[in-house]
Amino acid sequence: MTSTKTDVVAEGLGAAKAPRLSVVGFLMALPPLLLVLFFVGLPVLIAFTFSLGFTTGPNRVLSMIGQEIHKKDQWWGTFSAYKDVIHDPRFAGDMRTTLAITFISTTLVLLMALGIGIYQRMIGGRLASVMTALTLVPLFVPVVIAAWAIHTFYAGDGFMRSFFSQFGIEFPTVTSTVSAIAIGTIWTSLPFAILMVTSGLQSIPDALIETAQDAGAGFIRIIRTVLIPLAITPIVIAGTFTAIGILGSFTIPLFLGPNQPTMLGVEISNFFGAYNRPQQSIVMAFIVFASASGIALIYIWANVRSAKQSGRI
Amino acid sequence: MTDSPQEEGLVLNGLTKILGGRVIIDNLHLVVKKGEMVSLLGPSGCGKTTTLRMIAGFLIPDKGDIVLNGKDVTTIGPEKRPSAMVFQNYALWPHMTVFGNVAYPLKVRKLAKPEIEKRVHEALAMVNLMHHKDSRPGQISGGEQQRVALARALVQEPDILLLDEPLSNLDAKLRVKVREDIRDLQRRLGITTVIVTHDQDEALSISDRIAVMNNGKIEQFSTPQELYDRPETEYVANFIGSLNHIQGGFADGQVISGTEVVGIRPEDVHFSTEQVPGSYPATVQLVVPRGHFCEVYLKRADVELHAFISLDVPLAGTSGFVKINKALIYKDGKLVRVA
Repeated sequence: MTSTKTDVVAEGLGAAKAPRLSVVGFLMALPPLLLVLFFVGLPVLIAFTFSLGFTTGPNRVLSMIGQEIHKKDQWWGTFSAYKDVIHDPRFAGDMRTTLAITFISTTLVLLMALGIGIYQRMIGGRLASVMTALTLVPLFVPVVIAAWAIHTFYAGDGFMRSFFSQFGIEFPTVTSTVSAIAIGTIWTSLPFAILMVTSGLQSIPDALIETAQDAGAGFIRIIRTVLIPLAITPIVIAGTFTAIGILGSFTIPLFLGPNQPTMLGVEISNFFGAYNRPQQSIVMAFIVFASASGIALIYIWANVRSAKQSGRI
Repeated sequence: MTDSPQEEGLVLNGLTKILGGRVIIDNLHLVVKKGEMVSLLGPSGCGKTTTLRMIAGFLIPDKGDIVLNGKDVTTIGPEKRPSAMVFQNYALWPHMTVFGNVAYPLKVRKLAKPEIEKRVHEALAMVNLMHHKDSRPGQISGGEQQRVALARALVQEPDILLLDEPLSNLDAKLRVKVREDIRDLQRRLGITTVIVTHDQDEALSISDRIAVMNNGKIEQFSTPQELYDRPETEYVANFIGSLNHIQGGFADGQVISGTEVVGIRPEDVHFSTEQVPGSYPATVQLVVPRGHFCEVYLKRADVELHAFISLDVPLAGTSGFVKINKALIYKDGKLVRVA
């Protein structure tokens, strides 16, 4: 084939345009990258050095104001602040509470999301649609408002106790207990989990379910062997997002939880402000971050699995 | 013709199904003999898939009965019905291997592991897919996926095999190959089979009998040859094969004026340069090559026709004589005579 002059000119233009376009693309992606690097990455790095006892430079003022500051005794720093926190029985209680609430609430959220999702997928109809729509309502209610609503509902002088007292029944005060935190976190986490799980279940073709029915499988077996395995990626992603959200929750445990033990989000704030122990609060934050990273690994695994199944990698 | 109850594999008796206020299936009757392969043939929306889904148990008819091997299964759910269905898009579970897919119905029946292995291996050997038993559905071709779906249905040893447009997702060559495989397996196993298709070639080549459907009813239920040679309605004549469709009447080998409809198969139109009894002068208008034959457009004084000619194809403009060997005469859509 002979190339004409026009072809050569077009090729030349295309070759010149390609790198120019990639530069434009890179420049478009740069602002959010820089934002994350300077306003999140850098403070995280500085905070990490502070937790290891680097008390000069950007950490100088905080180390002068804060109490019980541990300074580095090795070139790489010190783990004294970490030991301090780990040996603190208050932290141990908070950690246990945080992990327990995260686990219990995430499990309950997933079970409820699966219940609604499976009901809509297998039974469907108007009632299922109404139920799904209702479960999405919390998505549009600010957390602080929801927390106050739950507080007044379950408080010592709240609706539930007042209502049951009319019949001579003493309803327990739920507010300021770990159970109230669980109720609050489930309320706030449920809508997103339902959206994820329901969309995952809805994307399963009817024929895959009908084939299982045709093969003789009953309702429970279809759920166990077809629906859940096929929707496992969105279910795992919903679970990891829910767990990370609950692990780092602050407003709900602050408004609804007890003073002690409480969740680490509240305790980090207490240590930083009320107790004036910024180094310990940062150590706690890193421990929460490490826990969240563990959950994030499950998220990455789910995404890789999904990409492999769809042939993207 | 009526079959004795022993011979009846499937009986659909007055089936009616209304969906969204519309009558989809209207008082449908069908008797399929044991071991017979029957096609439900018709255009999209004629109700053939709805009928199949009622036979499988995915839809419950509003009226009528479904009797399978003498047992009324009308209200029995698909999980308890002795039928197995192969879906149009194969419907293999992507998270299971080929072995897992075929073994699934047997695991549901809680068979012993060695028995499951034996039967799955037999089913996979039957469809020549033993070498793919550890593959995932995404790793095998469309034709192989279809054969896995078939193995999964056959492993259940159902009383009736239901195939919903099983070849429509395959390319032309593969379609012929899988079609022959299905026919061969069905004959060997002697399993009563109902296949839904909109492809007349597929239906004509694979079926013992064909039920041509239109608007939720069966227009004609006959052998492929009968259906082609003697279509009972104008609709069937138009749907099966190619047809010269002429408004008028027919007498002495000529189309005359009238109120009937004359249907002439292109292969029943004979062109010759020499006059034979019953032939009339004609001119070749156009010749369209169609591979192993040519479609020749002819003009006669009484009518314009197209004919299929494979030997001694005339050139456009050639003068000769045309004889109509057979004509189907319809009145009010029904066959009244064959001339």
